[in-house]
Amino acid sequence: MKRYLCILLCLLLAACASNPRLQEVRALADDAPKLATFNDLSQRFRDTFQREQPYLSAAAIQREQAIDRKRHEAYPDFIALQAAATTYLRALGAMAGGTTFNYGEQVKQMSASIKAWPDTGLTDRHVNAYAGLVRLLLRAATAREQDKAVQAMLREGYEPMQGTLDAMHTLLRYFNKNHDNEQRIVLGMLDVEIPYADAPRERLLAALARSHQQEKLREYRLLGLRHTLAAQHIDALRERHAALYRGLDPLPAVEAAPPAIPSAIAKGAQP
Amino acid sequence: MSLTAALPHDLETLADSLSASADELHQRIMRGIRQQQRLEGGNGQGGAMPLTHGAAQALFENEVALRQQANSLYVDAASHSLEGMGVTVPELLRLAAEARDTIRRIDRVKELAGLSADLLAVAAAIVAARPEHLAAPLESLKKQLAARHARESA
Repeated sequence: MKRYLCILLCLLLAACASNPRLQEVRALADDAPKLATFNDLSQRFRDTFQREQPYLSAAAIQREQAIDRKRHEAYPDFIALQAAATTYLRALGAMAGGTTFNYGEQVKQMSASIKAWPDTGLTDRHVNAYAGLVRLLLRAATAREQDKAVQAMLREGYEPMQGTLDAMHTLLRYFNKNHDNEQRIVLGMLDVEIPYADAPRERLLAALARSHQQEKLREYRLLGLRHTLAAQHIDALRERHAALYRGLDPLPAVEAAPPAIPSAIAKGAQP
Repeated sequence: MSLTAALPHDLETLADSLSASADELHQRIMRGIRQQQRLEGGNGQGGAMPLTHGAAQALFENEVALRQQANSLYVDAASHSLEGMGVTVPELLRLAAEARDTIRRIDRVKELAGLSADLLAVAAAIVAARPEHLAAPLESLKKQLAARHARESA
């Protein structure tokens, strides 16, 4: 009898030993803050005019104002993408996390109420052992339930999430190209003007201009790097999310056919 | 593919092409500036056309405008797309590439200014989605490129 109990306990422990999928989902959700860089870069894109203005001619300022309006109009849509992706990841993480399916509180209440019956003849030790066993059973049952819920969310969220990440990736490419042109307008203006500031009485001007040029070069190089890194983060996130999707349990026979993966998104997916 | 159905990807390709033209123009301006300085330093040798400060600024203004049109297309690609232009994207790309190539070889300031101004007008019409403003600069651009071809092969 004791042996059976032992086997039963072993089985229970195995069942509720942390599911690797849930762990991976939590790890993925923990990376959601990395998407914040996208917001910073969207903001930088929106504020391009502000930075360019000192280097522009009056005519160029007028032209830029129209582009500036378009950037400001589009900005909320960019941020909405990031917000959607982050919310999805947080929800997924919460679902895979320890709190959503935690019945510990109920078990505690149950054992407390058992203890409140003084005439049952049960000692604290009995009650605690019983409560422990119930907790274990519940956890095994809910772990399966939790895993199912997470799988359902991954299945439904797969396409929208991949689409959102793709869109963010594409936008970053536009931001980066916009950044390149901004850089060439600002540094180009200095390039063109500095050679003409070489008269002896303009030495101070030339020195300040060159020092400013160096500073701007550094700034643009760093920002270029940030664009690259942000795109890499999104790529990595997309790949991990796709891997989780590929690892989903097959659907029951009734709805046997798995949802078709659009070829644009299926990049890297295994047949 | 006609611009009527311009996808963000087409807009991006056009913008890339304008950015590349601006890069080419910048190279030419900087070569002109260096040549001017060698002339002033008394050791002028043949090669690139020299550029006065004013001429360099005027050409740079065109470069900036080309970059602005490119950036305008990048925003469009990011939000919405163009409507009925009646010209095909491949033709525009081919002309822009040809103009870019010509900018590299051109040696008269006046021609360089004219060519970059035409390219700019074409870009502006594309960006503003104003097909009625596209025909004239497009014709002028084609004429300038054809005239150079004729001179070069003569």
